[in-house]
Amino acid sequence: MARLMLLLWSLGPMLWQLYSSLRSSEALSGLGAGGWTFENYRQLLQGDPPFLTYLINSVVVGASSTALTLALAVPCAYALSRLGRRQARALTALVAAAAAFPAVLLFLALLELARDWHLANQLLALSLPYAGLCLPLAILLLQAAFADIPIELEEAALIEGMGLWQRLRWILLPLMAPAMASSALLVFLFSWNEYPIALTWLSRTELLTLAPAMARIAGSSVYTIPYGAFAAATVLGSAPLILLMLLFQRQIISGLTQGAIKG
Amino acid sequence: MAQRWRLLLVTFSVAVLLTVGALARPQIEPVSVLMPAPFADATTELVSAFNRSHPRIALSVTRGPLETEAVSDLAISSLLLGESPYDLLLMDVSWTPKYAAAGWLEPLDRWLGPDALGDLAPGAELGNAFSGQLWRFPLVADMGLLYWRTDLMAAPPRTPAELVAISRRLQREGRVPWGYVWQGKQYEGLSCVVLEVLRGFGGHWLVKNQPQLDSPAAVAAASWLQDLVRQGITPEAVANMGEPEALQLFQAGDAAFMRNWPYAWAELNKPDSPLRGKVAFTTMVSEEGEPHAATQGSWGFSMLAGSQHKAAAVEVLRFLTSAEAQKQLNLRWGYTPTRLSVFEDPELRAANPVLTDLQQALAAAVLRPLSPVYAQLSDLLYRDVNTVITGDESAPTAMRALQSNSERLLRSSGGQG
Amino acid sequence: MRWRLWLLMAPALALLLAIFAAPLLHYLWLSTQAQSVLTGLQPQPIRAQQWLRLWNDGRFWQDTWQTLRFSAASVSLEMLFGLAVALLLNQPLRGRGLLRTISLLPWALPTTVMALGWRWIFNDPYGPISRLLAGLELPAIPFLSNPALTWMATVGADTWKTTPFVALLLLAGLQTIPADLYEAAALEGATPWKTLRRITLPLLTPYLLIALLFRLAQALGVFDLIQVLTGGGPAGSTESLALYAYLNAMRFLDFGYSATLLLGSFAILLILCGAGALIWRWSLRWQGSLR
Repeated sequence: MARLMLLLWSLGPMLWQLYSSLRSSEALSGLGAGGWTFENYRQLLQGDPPFLTYLINSVVVGASSTALTLALAVPCAYALSRLGRRQARALTALVAAAAAFPAVLLFLALLELARDWHLANQLLALSLPYAGLCLPLAILLLQAAFADIPIELEEAALIEGMGLWQRLRWILLPLMAPAMASSALLVFLFSWNEYPIALTWLSRTELLTLAPAMARIAGSSVYTIPYGAFAAATVLGSAPLILLMLLFQRQIISGLTQGAIKG
Repeated sequence: MAQRWRLLLVTFSVAVLLTVGALARPQIEPVSVLMPAPFADATTELVSAFNRSHPRIALSVTRGPLETEAVSDLAISSLLLGESPYDLLLMDVSWTPKYAAAGWLEPLDRWLGPDALGDLAPGAELGNAFSGQLWRFPLVADMGLLYWRTDLMAAPPRTPAELVAISRRLQREGRVPWGYVWQGKQYEGLSCVVLEVLRGFGGHWLVKNQPQLDSPAAVAAASWLQDLVRQGITPEAVANMGEPEALQLFQAGDAAFMRNWPYAWAELNKPDSPLRGKVAFTTMVSEEGEPHAATQGSWGFSMLAGSQHKAAAVEVLRFLTSAEAQKQLNLRWGYTPTRLSVFEDPELRAANPVLTDLQQALAAAVLRPLSPVYAQLSDLLYRDVNTVITGDESAPTAMRALQSNSERLLRSSGGQG
Repeated sequence: MRWRLWLLMAPALALLLAIFAAPLLHYLWLSTQAQSVLTGLQPQPIRAQQWLRLWNDGRFWQDTWQTLRFSAASVSLEMLFGLAVALLLNQPLRGRGLLRTISLLPWALPTTVMALGWRWIFNDPYGPISRLLAGLELPAIPFLSNPALTWMATVGADTWKTTPFVALLLLAGLQTIPADLYEAAALEGATPWKTLRRITLPLLTPYLLIALLFRLAQALGVFDLIQVLTGGGPAGSTESLALYAYLNAMRFLDFGYSATLLLGSFAILLILCGAGALIWRWSLRWQGSLR
């Protein structure tokens, strides 16, 4: 019984969006009966710019942010895990505090950064602030994973004459693969959902990522109905993430719990 | 051998001719305009007509959000980043100083000539030119009006005391439950109401960048509004009323007077309206010797300084604000024009006899302060006056606080010293 | 070899400093300047004027109250529901894995995407809730147009999204509690409520506190949900501090004051979360002294 309620609670709103998106506007306002239609989706996909553009933009930003974050976080987490306890503890505490920090408070400084350094309206440039915002969680996660690798393994490799790079490549990274996958997914998820920074850095409609695009669609509503098109946008906007969640559930969940707990 | 050369020559000539032909064909200049959704809908026909008659210009209208402020937000987000996809913006009168001060607008003086505002009805020219330059050309105008019931009284009141007296009498006689409804909610509409009453008592909001909100006239104005509620002439719910709520109450016959915009006239005279033919409007009441004020609201076109197609944009601007266009907007959509020639058009006057009254009201127009920080000043005003209306604060205390807050605002945003 | 470790950390730490520390320092400087449309968007020093203005700004205090109210309600509900869900998922049930994933879906969706959805769900009279009320012949609830109710709608939407996160965290904590503790309690005939109070909650305390602090910090900075769902309305009754700061920069073009507001919000965040962290340290020490 409780499980059923949980299911309903979690899925209810989304299922309602799915339902609304397939109904015509008359049906939604209760004026007419029947009216199942794909019209809302057609409107969205053929819009100007087509909805797919936003999804692609989000993928680009997500991928570049993930790459940059991992490139910076892996060495840092490694070093942190090999550092002495006392020093590491202080740094880790600061990193954990940064992980909880609401990013929106930084928007003004980042806006001025975008203006002064001409980083605005460039998808790849967004990966800089995103990487910075995701680093804390990634570092915490990866540091925990690194700490789990017994130091004897590394020492054995050292004895065999492996340099730092070789150790990383052949021993550590393969063992880190699950943690890295988790981090990558969490970073990707964050960049898909991020709103205030994307909102202030991107003004050209064709460059918008999903979150600000949805907000703009919401703001343009002239009528309170039909919500059919908006529901369709909600469904299309959520679908990739739901897919991601279902495919990689274990990694995402373990990443969240590890990162938050060990931090 | 010779044949091959000839073929080559022919091909070459054709290629040259094609290229020259393509280059010689006039380039189509795209002009992009941002308008709030209602205006975008109203001007669709005009836009198509323009595109038909001007083959070298491709005019496209971006349909902005419904909410006024959201349109400005959309424009600002790209302007702040140093670029904008628009050439023209349809601007509310209260934004123009902000955009101009930020350096985003192109002065229109040299494009429209020295007598650009010549054909405008008195009152419509306000809010377009300041700091010695023309920034905007008005398209449609709005003004605050005092609506009164012709079936309940012979003539409308001209002073605050008269309004109160008539209301009291009618309420005592049981003809109406309430005397006067207006907009008292904490929003921009309240600022418009306050401005009219403030001027009516001889006060001013901002003079030479100095707020004058603790003057005796200002305190008197706020007190008068408070008394309306205290004496039961205005319902307490006015503190949450916007234009739709006030109209609803008035249209149901529950009030003798209403303050609202011209759009309400059309609503009140719809075929199924209970007040059809029983309403007239005039300007707001005022003390002896003080002006009968009507807060002016208007929308007009401004050109962005960063536009790449300025000449084409000016043509668009001329077309969309021409007398013909304004006439269309009035006949089909009910917008009040700004050009004198349109007001005096006999065909329009016949179709809309109330146009004369609107023109008179427009002549009494007063402008909200033309300050780049107007939005914040207005925010302070409507918050403070709202507390006076609800009775939470006395008028003198609130206005004094408002004055010091306004001064502090101007100081800390670089407006003084 | 030490220095090589620091070298590895350097790029990441540099970016972290640039993203977190530099802005706050910049705000500190900017809050002593007037930089607005009136100064041509150039900074002009005015010392403490912005802070005086902040102190006297009714809208700032109103937004502070509204943000605190939102955070308190939202975080409390999330902790409560999160604990319930975690306890549910901790039990060995069939389909537990799938249920866990599904319950996490709300957290994975972008806030702005679902905010649109919530606008429709709360819509009166066409949304599903209103239709249900009408069908049951109950009076309609104007969720999004009544200032007294709208903030509750925002709390509801936020709780829906973030409960799974808290639940997941607490679930991980629950799974560290050894099963034999529960067995021993069951043998002694303890009721589920007693088990919860005496065993589960005390052992779960560190996780509860992590979740609490994390969620509190995030809730105090609420922006996405408010901006898209209500725009701060009706009549500014749901406006949060972050939204007010944003409006000052992007609508009023007053960067100096916006920076001041951001710092003010940060100060509130620091005070509340700092107090929370101190309580935690104190409680740990108290727990330690009990052993």
